[in-house]
Amino acid sequence: MRITIKGIGAVGGFGCGVTDLAAALESGLGRVTEMTVPAAQGPLQIPAFRSETERLEGFVPKRTLRRIDHYSKMGLLGAYLALQDGGLLGSDLSRLGVVVASGYGATATTFAFLDSIIGDGDICASPTHFANSVHNAAAANISIMLGAKGPSLTVSQFDMSVPSALLSARQWLAEERVDAVLFGAIDELSDLTGYLWHRQYGTQHPFTISPLDTDQDSSIIGEGAAFLLLTRMDDNRAYCLIDNIDTGSLPEGKLFSPPDDALLLLGADGHRELGTRYRATIPALSRVACYTPIYGSMPAAAAFDIAAGALILQNGLAYPIPGVAGCNMDGLQVPLETTRVCALRLAGRNEYGAVSLSRL
Amino acid sequence: MTHPWPVAITGLGCICAAGTNVDACMEALYSGQRAPAEPSRFTSSHPTRYPVFEVTGFSEPEELLRTSALGLHAAQEAIADAGLDQEMLRGLRVGVCVGTTVASAMNNEQFCRDYRAGLDPDLEPINRIMRSNPAAVIAREFGFTGPCQTVVNACASGTDAVGLAASWIRGGICDLVIAGGADELGRITYNGFISLMITDETPCKPFDKNRKGLNLGEGAGMLILESEAVRTMRNQAALSFLLGYGSACDAHHLTAPRPDGEGLRYAIAEALSCCGTKAESIAFVNAHGTGTPDNDRVESRVLADLFPGIPFLSTKGYTGHTLGAAGAIEAVFTVACLQRGIIPGSAGFTTPDPDLGGTPIEECTKIEGQVALSESLAFGGNNSVILLGTRGAA
Repeated sequence: MRITIKGIGAVGGFGCGVTDLAAALESGLGRVTEMTVPAAQGPLQIPAFRSETERLEGFVPKRTLRRIDHYSKMGLLGAYLALQDGGLLGSDLSRLGVVVASGYGATATTFAFLDSIIGDGDICASPTHFANSVHNAAAANISIMLGAKGPSLTVSQFDMSVPSALLSARQWLAEERVDAVLFGAIDELSDLTGYLWHRQYGTQHPFTISPLDTDQDSSIIGEGAAFLLLTRMDDNRAYCLIDNIDTGSLPEGKLFSPPDDALLLLGADGHRELGTRYRATIPALSRVACYTPIYGSMPAAAAFDIAAGALILQNGLAYPIPGVAGCNMDGLQVPLETTRVCALRLAGRNEYGAVSLSRL
Repeated sequence: MTHPWPVAITGLGCICAAGTNVDACMEALYSGQRAPAEPSRFTSSHPTRYPVFEVTGFSEPEELLRTSALGLHAAQEAIADAGLDQEMLRGLRVGVCVGTTVASAMNNEQFCRDYRAGLDPDLEPINRIMRSNPAAVIAREFGFTGPCQTVVNACASGTDAVGLAASWIRGGICDLVIAGGADELGRITYNGFISLMITDETPCKPFDKNRKGLNLGEGAGMLILESEAVRTMRNQAALSFLLGYGSACDAHHLTAPRPDGEGLRYAIAEALSCCGTKAESIAFVNAHGTGTPDNDRVESRVLADLFPGIPFLSTKGYTGHTLGAAGAIEAVFTVACLQRGIIPGSAGFTTPDPDLGGTPIEECTKIEGQVALSESLAFGGNNSVILLGTRGAA
């Protein structure tokens, strides 16, 4: 069953809202800032894509937000923006489903809860941090704020969270359990995730992601939320169609077969090993693009890719690939015009997720 | 394409404090055995030692989280119960859908202690989390190539995983799905639930007047859901059928259920509507029944309204609250009870509470009817319900 993307709400290192996302894609400029990592040898600065959530106060009174953490705030902002963009803000949301995909959940609050135990003892465990550290806290906050009483689902499948969760979102629409699904992906930066990033990828931290350069590691950690308002196809007022969602594992050595003429939107994010896997998995002469240099590396980036694909299909034109200088593009083509996009996400040894989009 | 309900269940697997397989669990339930005790695998500085329901006689391999090892154990039993082997599974599109609360969280306490102390701790505990995604572990072990989904809907995760798996079968996404839930006991959830003041310092007493809260437990439950095409091809009888699934959000509070139970009512209505099941067809309800004052009040009142006179029970008196595994373990128990035609008494219940909508079954009781309901209520206001039983009996 084909479904439509009716609205997009995105908050990330590029800014906030679909206009900011489109502008960043057009210019090819991501806004890399820095975060301080409290490493053993002393504080370290590493590049990062950080998200601001001040615009949420335009939707929810500041007072109401005082106990809501950054993770849920990013989700709430993405959700409100997607509803606004799709023209459903203020509508009856009783038949709205909420689906949230997250690689790692509310990491800062999770660590804050642990801190309360480690620092002050078991008896001082923080109930507020515990309640907000539960993986579905963001989905719950979204449902509470919006009064959305349909089904709610949170999925955490690490890098495959987005395609996996999208599979169930589509089924809700196909089975007519809901009239619309607010589908979003959220991942956040925290001291500990920054530290883990630094430990995993060493002391060299380039300030530009070169996603298809398999000679060096250039990934930059990101955070943000990308939300999509999904509906069954009812009219032509939508960005694009979602034709197919496929996820699982590819047999060793098997090439991925993209839909005919589709622009492959690669989730390559500057991880050398992953970049090598993309090159080994996609057929020669594939038409490719990659926009992770705009929003950074995180599991939720897969939803930003879908949002970028939707914008491409609305315009019929691909954006230039940022960070393409210095990358090894032999055998791949960068097209301009396209009517089909396939957002391809690879992870681990053989996991894949492919979301096929087409123009209305 | 969406195939109609119902969806066949052809295999069951379970491990929890009541036993390390389905038969052992049912024997414990029917004989009223339960053994809550102080945690043996971790310590706590709480002056009160809150009892838990640990799985004994089981140890996880070093490379995996205990949660994922429990899930794998139950999946192996379910696959064998369904009469499946590697040869049969080869060539099928097999998915894995597993609920959990613990196994996706980046929260290794020792790692965080060392990090907080300014050390550069060994990354192995984090790497263990990264390779222990419960759904991916099962897929990897058996070489499945279909979709994997780890549902993190708090305490409704297991029920949702089973309902979503049925949707994958109905949508033609998979030929067969291993669906269920898994969760382990640990200091983090132990301290968390104590901090919320919803933990009983004595063995839990679901639906009892003197209930004070839940006891935590651990374990896993797995079910094999299978398409009619594959079941026909291999001439496999169904143990039961998933006749419906419903879920709805309270949109009310992060940790407390909505007092009027509206979300639960919606979820029950949706589950019943899938096969056009009438309330009077329900033989029994396997309730969420945690033993917390709020949950049991809301749940019993909704049951009294919608299913007057229909027996209900909570099995958490035998297993503790196994969080993301609970809905799946209880789905397994529900099918097993339907097969055996008898439900166990609600362990821990002795004194009726006039504030509740009714009282649970107190001792083993023969059931009449072939359809039962299993329900979960969760943090985040999630309410999830599955309807299980004989095809055509709805």
